Amino acid sequence: MAMPERSSPDVEQARSRLLKKVTARLARAAAVSFWVMVIAFGLIRLAPGDPVLARLGAEAAPEAIDRLRHALRLDVDPATQFVEYTWGMLHGRLGTSIETQRDVATIIAESLPVTLGIIAVTLAMALVVAVPLALAIATSRRPWVPYLFRATTSVMLAIPAFFTALVGLIVFGLHWQIAPIIGYEPGFPANLRFLWLPALVICTHLVPVLSRVLHASLVQTRGEEFVETGIIRGVSRLRFTWFYLLKPSLAPSIVLLSYMVGVMIGSTVIIETIFSLPGIGRSLVGAVINRDYPLVQGIVLVFGLFVVAVSLAGDLLANWLDPRVGAT
Amino acid sequence: MSLLTIENLTIGIPRGSAAPLAIVENASLWLQPGEMLGLIGESGSGKTMLCRSLIGTLRRRGAAILSGRITLAGTDLAHTDERAWRDIRGRRVGYVPQSALAGPNPVMTIGAQLREAILQGTPGADVPARARELLDLVQIRRPELVLAQYPHQLSGGMRQRVMIACAIAGTPELLVADEPTTGLDVTVQAGIMQLLRDIRARLGTAIILVSHDLALVDDVCDRILVMHAGACVEAVPAHAAPRHPYTIALNRSRIELAEPGTPLVTIAGQPPSVGAWPPGCRFAARCDIAQPDCRLGPHPPMRGEAHANACLHPERAA
Ligand SMILES: Nc1ncnc2c1ncn2[C@@H]1O[C@H](COP(=O)(O)OP(=O)(O)OP(=O)(O)O)[C@@H](O)[C@H]1O
Ligand code: SF4
Ligand SMILES: [Mg+2]
Repeated sequence: MAMPERSSPDVEQARSRLLKKVTARLARAAAVSFWVMVIAFGLIRLAPGDPVLARLGAEAAPEAIDRLRHALRLDVDPATQFVEYTWGMLHGRLGTSIETQRDVATIIAESLPVTLGIIAVTLAMALVVAVPLALAIATSRRPWVPYLFRATTSVMLAIPAFFTALVGLIVFGLHWQIAPIIGYEPGFPANLRFLWLPALVICTHLVPVLSRVLHASLVQTRGEEFVETGIIRGVSRLRFTWFYLLKPSLAPSIVLLSYMVGVMIGSTVIIETIFSLPGIGRSLVGAVINRDYPLVQGIVLVFGLFVVAVSLAGDLLANWLDPRVGAT
Repeated sequence: MSLLTIENLTIGIPRGSAAPLAIVENASLWLQPGEMLGLIGESGSGKTMLCRSLIGTLRRRGAAILSGRITLAGTDLAHTDERAWRDIRGRRVGYVPQSALAGPNPVMTIGAQLREAILQGTPGADVPARARELLDLVQIRRPELVLAQYPHQLSGGMRQRVMIACAIAGTPELLVADEPTTGLDVTVQAGIMQLLRDIRARLGTAIILVSHDLALVDDVCDRILVMHAGACVEAVPAHAAPRHPYTIALNRSRIELAEPGTPLVTIAGQPPSVGAWPPGCRFAARCDIAQPDCRLGPHPPMRGEAHANACLHPERAA
């Protein structure tokens, strides 16, 4: 827009409203993180067994058990443990893994990028497929196209992801040998070789859900009166597709996507296990089995922060694309 | 010479091998330059479809012109291709789509939308200057503020003013406004009507004003075209006594005419719906003076020049 957008009182007001909203969300995020911390701390202690028994075995000498328990400060009452843990956290210390004696932050820093990599590749793949697909189906004039779309996506959703993953491994990994079946190499773009198949497997569920929601929004937008004005103004095809079809339709899909991505960090554990990827989900499984309290707490906290951050990002993005979202 | 002539226009939905589904049948109207024509009829009578044929957006609703002619000052609008429409839309015909609330694009600022309209209407225009001029024309104060806002930040009346500004950006000869005041407060409604009259007076634009409200249209327009179930039934000069039984009934059901204490008069029954039109006059099932011959043959066409009427028995109507 070439016109000068002088900042008027109302525009200022809108800005300060947005700022207030973001601040409120950040405060909420801090509260959520605290509760996630409490729950992670409590739940892992409620589970039967403890890290000392997990390490030394049930037949260990009682003195050895007591000594280790004391060394790990597991002999003080849980409330004191929690205060100490929170105190350390406030100073940026996530603690040390009981099992490996390594810094929890280091373990997370190693395994989190793998999982984020899976999520990023999945997201890119899903968007590249779902957006054009939904657009093509919503603008198609052939009446059988939406039926075929609904039928196909239903079938895809009905097939469990772990089954698709195994079939994918057999076909692409063993038979055609175009995907590594084991191992991982960190760093972009070397990691893409290991991530594309897992991402593809997740996409067999993500793409149907995403494209269906987007398709429904597009069909609704398509019928709106304002679309007529885009035609009347003779805007270019690209401009029309973006401003008169996609942009007004994206908000629900983005909110859904931010929710699904939030959930994904936890659910990738199945994919990480099948494809032997050293992601954070697998670290968590190991930590729970070993009752590695500090590691479990650290990872669950990261999950919580991730979910909060992604949903905040989704809300802000939806609001930015569609100003109606924030208005109500 | 009239600016716009529509002759025996039939609009319908083509259905492959089956016969097309007619939505507007044998519609005829004419409009002088600078004239204001009110188009009224119950919901579903085909008003919007008729308007869409004037701006070339039937196709995207799956509809098409099946027969008949539309001529706008010598240009044939019934057989216009997409390319040619681009020179007509915005420049010769302005369009305000139905409903003030859903009219503007919700995800674009008013400035961005007005800019598109200006560039379509007058390519190469000085956009900021023209935008200010247009907002002034539609009596919007504080243009800088409004230009930076999104539609949901504006009141319904303001939105409709913006839509009108967009529609007249290319100073068209004809402005089609589809129910520009439905859903607005009565006072806001009056303001919009006054604005349309001002535009007509200042720019000499001919206006087709679609409405459900006979009283409103009778107040501001020069003539009124009444539609019922896809057919034009009467074209009556403003303030003249209606002659078609449907218009007479509409006129009787006007709220302000109701005597205190007497029940409000309404028109009995529903108009036949698209695809289920009976033979003969489509008002017959609701008409007090229907005769046996009313239910035969095609729908009676309108006859007469200054005051055209499609009723076969006008002498019985009162
Ligand atoms: N694609 C379509 N298929 C079938 N029928 C349609 C289609 N589009 C419109 N119609 C029908 O055409 C008729 C006329 O619609 P139109 O929108 O022109 O009515 P209208 O007079 O503008 O009504 P309103 O006052 O409610 O706006 C309606 O009965 C509608 O259901
Ligand atoms: S033609 Fe017959 S049915 Fe139709 S309005 Fe006239 S009298 Fe009534
Ligand atoms: Mg309509």
